[in-house]
Amino acid sequence: MHQAFQQDCLEMLAGRLERGEVSRRRFIQAATIMLAGTPFALRSTCADAADKTLVFVNWGGDAIRSYDQAYGQAFLRQSGVTVRQDGSGPTEGAITAQFKSGKPTWDIVDADPFSAISLGKRGMIEPIDYRIVDRSKMRRGFGWDYAASTYFFSYVIVYDTSRFGDRAPAGMADFFDVRKFPGKRSLYKWGAGMWEAALLADGVAPEKLYPLDLQRAHGKIAAFRPHVVSYWGGGADSQQILLSGDASMALIWSTRASVLEKDTNGQLKFTWDQGLISPGAMAVIKNNPAGADTAMNFIASAQDPHKQLIAFELMGQGPANPATDALIPADKKRINPMDPANAARQAVLDMGWYADNYGAALEAYTRLISA
Amino acid sequence: MQRRTRAFTGLFLTAPLLAFLLLAYVLPFLGVVRWSVTLPEPGFSQYRKLATDPLALAVLIRTLRICALVTIAATAAAYAIAYVWVRGTPLQRRLAELCILIPFWISVLTRAFGWLALLSNRGLVNTWLQGLGVLAEPLTLVRNEFGVVVGMTHFLIPFAVFPIASAMQAIDGRVLLAARGLGAARLRIFWRIFVPMTLSGIVGAALIVFVFALGFFVTPAILGGGHSVMVAELVYLHMFQSPDWGLGAAISVALVLVVGLLMGLLFRFARPAGLRASR
Repeated sequence: MHQAFQQDCLEMLAGRLERGEVSRRRFIQAATIMLAGTPFALRSTCADAADKTLVFVNWGGDAIRSYDQAYGQAFLRQSGVTVRQDGSGPTEGAITAQFKSGKPTWDIVDADPFSAISLGKRGMIEPIDYRIVDRSKMRRGFGWDYAASTYFFSYVIVYDTSRFGDRAPAGMADFFDVRKFPGKRSLYKWGAGMWEAALLADGVAPEKLYPLDLQRAHGKIAAFRPHVVSYWGGGADSQQILLSGDASMALIWSTRASVLEKDTNGQLKFTWDQGLISPGAMAVIKNNPAGADTAMNFIASAQDPHKQLIAFELMGQGPANPATDALIPADKKRINPMDPANAARQAVLDMGWYADNYGAALEAYTRLISA
Repeated sequence: MQRRTRAFTGLFLTAPLLAFLLLAYVLPFLGVVRWSVTLPEPGFSQYRKLATDPLALAVLIRTLRICALVTIAATAAAYAIAYVWVRGTPLQRRLAELCILIPFWISVLTRAFGWLALLSNRGLVNTWLQGLGVLAEPLTLVRNEFGVVVGMTHFLIPFAVFPIASAMQAIDGRVLLAARGLGAARLRIFWRIFVPMTLSGIVGAALIVFVFALGFFVTPAILGGGHSVMVAELVYLHMFQSPDWGLGAAISVALVLVVGLLMGLLFRFARPAGLRASR
């Protein structure tokens, strides 16, 4: 799920650059942060790593690659550490292949926390070294053994006010209620967050979601299928479905939801009520070529709240370091998924559950929606 | 002797292509074949799973149904366009040429999104029909099978035009004149002389469209409402999302076998105009 999310952030950013909302300099900065953590801070922390190369594997994107190059050369000049970005996509399969080769060429991967956890349990991921990476710069519960949280996003309800007037959905029960809120719906193609939404709609209390009762969730979704016009697979797709009027409500990423609200001057609105918070993370491949310490320093450098603020400003990603929340200007707090006022209204996806169950759950979900 | 030399020259000239296909396609595909019988354990369990898996079967049947509809629609439309292209006035021919070539310059993604813009609830078609008072509620024209068939047909028409046009060009105009001279009416000439003489082109076009359509990925993903509508998406799903490489590989192999079988039939029975070496 996260793979597509990461790509989507870069896509949105490239769009803003084209429309002149972001300066090229700013864009390079942000792309750099997205693609390589926060390398500027590495200058101080990795001075000893003079002739090392750090390979950061992310989800690529053609528009970005040239900027990577611009960045890569600059960084080499500044710090002596070459951070090479590799956009080949750290899928679970690819990480497994890297590890099994015996001589991995990757250092850090931008992965779903649950992927990292499940690969870590199989010995393919270096445990996060919390002597270097600072737990106090993370939100409680998001520093896993094999993954360090780097940002957050949410699955939220977006609704079309031209269809409902002043009425707003108060949560998932309303999302699944087409009598009260007529029109078609759109759900996420890759399942994450949708099971939780169905269970919340079915009356399960947010704190009692896990372990997920998949049978119940799938029952709810199966009955709802006639009202689902589309299962979106990427951010642009989800935006299009709402803009075209094909759906009157959808569960989409908060980064896209805030853009929709702004671009339509509030014709499309989103609510944090019963939103589902989802973390993104960095993980280090076992026996990585640059050494675990360099990689951990790198991750630690990405914890700087000022760097995370830039990532938030440009891409709307919720910061991993709670200290960043306070730096966010008051008029932007509304779109920060992790702002205390917003987070309190949401539930959190349990990465531990996903680590053990996502594969089987997705398979069942896909069967359900494709049959 | 000269014949043999020519055959040799031909082989020599195409050798780089054959070598490239061998390296870039056949060898990797053998790897896929191997996965299908070794993952997760050696044997044919993945193929048995494929034959009994309700999802795979539902998607396969849907794929075949969509491909059949697209083949009929695209071939029929291509026949009309090819007719204008080959037998029209110079102006008509120029226009037909543009209609055939322009879609080639536009990416498949752009075209799929174009259809979304036209056919969605707030798209041009629904807006007009509602504005004219024909419809009260918008018609659901995309994000379903109808949308997929429209988008794929649009994409594949140009590919069907060429074999049909080539068959039409090969017709000796004097045959049609002779029919006329013998008193046949225009419709009769068309159905009894013209169409049968272009039959090889029609069959060739239909098979090209059908085979091409079987592997469609982007168009159904955009216009079909997101769930795995067609078999290529199912392969993607098993390869990347719920990693089950064995099953994904088995589906790929089955697809290639179907395509191979169809191509075999094509060359054996139809001798399609578009694919026949020019003599």
